[in-house]
Amino acid sequence: MVKKLYWMIAKDLLSECRSLRVWPAMLLLGVVVAMMFAMQADLPPERLRQIVGGLLWLTIFFAGTLALDRSFAAEREDGCWKGLLCYPISPTCVYLAKLAVNVVALAALECVLIPLFALLTDVPLLAHPGPIIAVAVLGDLGLAAVGTLLSAVANTGRQSSYLLPLLVLPAVVPLVLGAAEATRLAVEYDFGPAWWRWVQLLAGFAVVFITAGIVLFEFAVEE
Amino acid sequence: MLEPVNRLWPCVAAVMVTIAIAAIFLVAPTEQTMGDAQRIVYIHVSVAWMGLAMFVVMAVTGGMYLFRRDLAWDHWSQAALEIGWLCCGLTLVTGSLWAHAAWNIWWTWDPRLTTAFVLWAMYSAALVLRSGVEDPHRRARLGAIVAIVGALDVPLVIMATRWFRGIHPKSPHMEPSMRVALLISVFCFSAFFTTLLLLRRSQLRIADMLEDIECDSCSLS
Repeated sequence: MVKKLYWMIAKDLLSECRSLRVWPAMLLLGVVVAMMFAMQADLPPERLRQIVGGLLWLTIFFAGTLALDRSFAAEREDGCWKGLLCYPISPTCVYLAKLAVNVVALAALECVLIPLFALLTDVPLLAHPGPIIAVAVLGDLGLAAVGTLLSAVANTGRQSSYLLPLLVLPAVVPLVLGAAEATRLAVEYDFGPAWWRWVQLLAGFAVVFITAGIVLFEFAVEE
Repeated sequence: MLEPVNRLWPCVAAVMVTIAIAAIFLVAPTEQTMGDAQRIVYIHVSVAWMGLAMFVVMAVTGGMYLFRRDLAWDHWSQAALEIGWLCCGLTLVTGSLWAHAAWNIWWTWDPRLTTAFVLWAMYSAALVLRSGVEDPHRRARLGAIVAIVGALDVPLVIMATRWFRGIHPKSPHMEPSMRVALLISVFCFSAFFTTLLLLRRSQLRIADMLEDIECDSCSLS
């Protein structure tokens, strides 16, 4: 299982490194959306501190959706998906591999967007990197867990390109709220019970949807 | 053709709605500060409860479809999806009308309104998903997955929006006659929407049977 998982992850990462089809577009979209948000949010520093978490997480969501959508759309092209299903690997293994690749893609996006938002808004997002990294990792896991499962669902219909954001955005409302609030509290150096409550919500969200993905993915990819 | 028992359902629904409207306008007294606008609450609470209940029906019957692979379960799931979407839409409209009368604003990011909006968005996404899949079993499978994901998400949405902010009245003080009117209204509207659910489920089942007959006659000719 571990070896198959490793090869599945290596296949997707290698394919992306060779073709550079999704990640550059995702990073570029993230940078453009961040610039536009920062341009519009010309506010006093204390107001910016309150909203920067929400802006950051919405940007991660919009740009990240590109990577989530392509994780299955690419497999559907040229009958790759049918070939993949012929391999002796379980659907759980495919789900976990796709999840891992999406986590890496979203982590790359966060590595660009968090310093960029700190630079553009002058909000000290990197003053305490530990808590921000914890929030980013948990948010990343939750978004990738829901996104990977729903991307498999969306890519079986004929309207995949616009369906994924429609399916994912309502589902990740608690995640975006939790990550935005935890980021705001971290920027304000408030690591009290409220911050822990949001972090627990993010962890709970990730656990619930990774488990749901493992159980339901098999049904999503049935031919 | 409708089954004999189905002919009774529209009559039951009509009687229930009449009783609910009578209770709202004749049993419930006029509220002192909001006046007649307060009567919206009797419909609002009823449709909000049905919006949430239909999500549970949709997820449970969707799960049963995945377990049994019988399209009869999907008919329940699809009917619940459509009625739930209607109820959630009505919750947003009545909530907005009530908010304008009570707080002089059309919309607020109150936890329960936000939850209703997220539910409505999930129902809408599930409807769009279903409309794009031709094969009934694939449609049922994908619809069930979205329904289960949504059902798992609802408690987290409620928790997150409640922690975020809240101005919604939690358990407002009501006159005993108002409580009676509210109970009658909730019961009658629940019966009305359950009737709609049964009728729609019946219609889907008949449509499915017709499709099977058409397929059989095509293969024979």
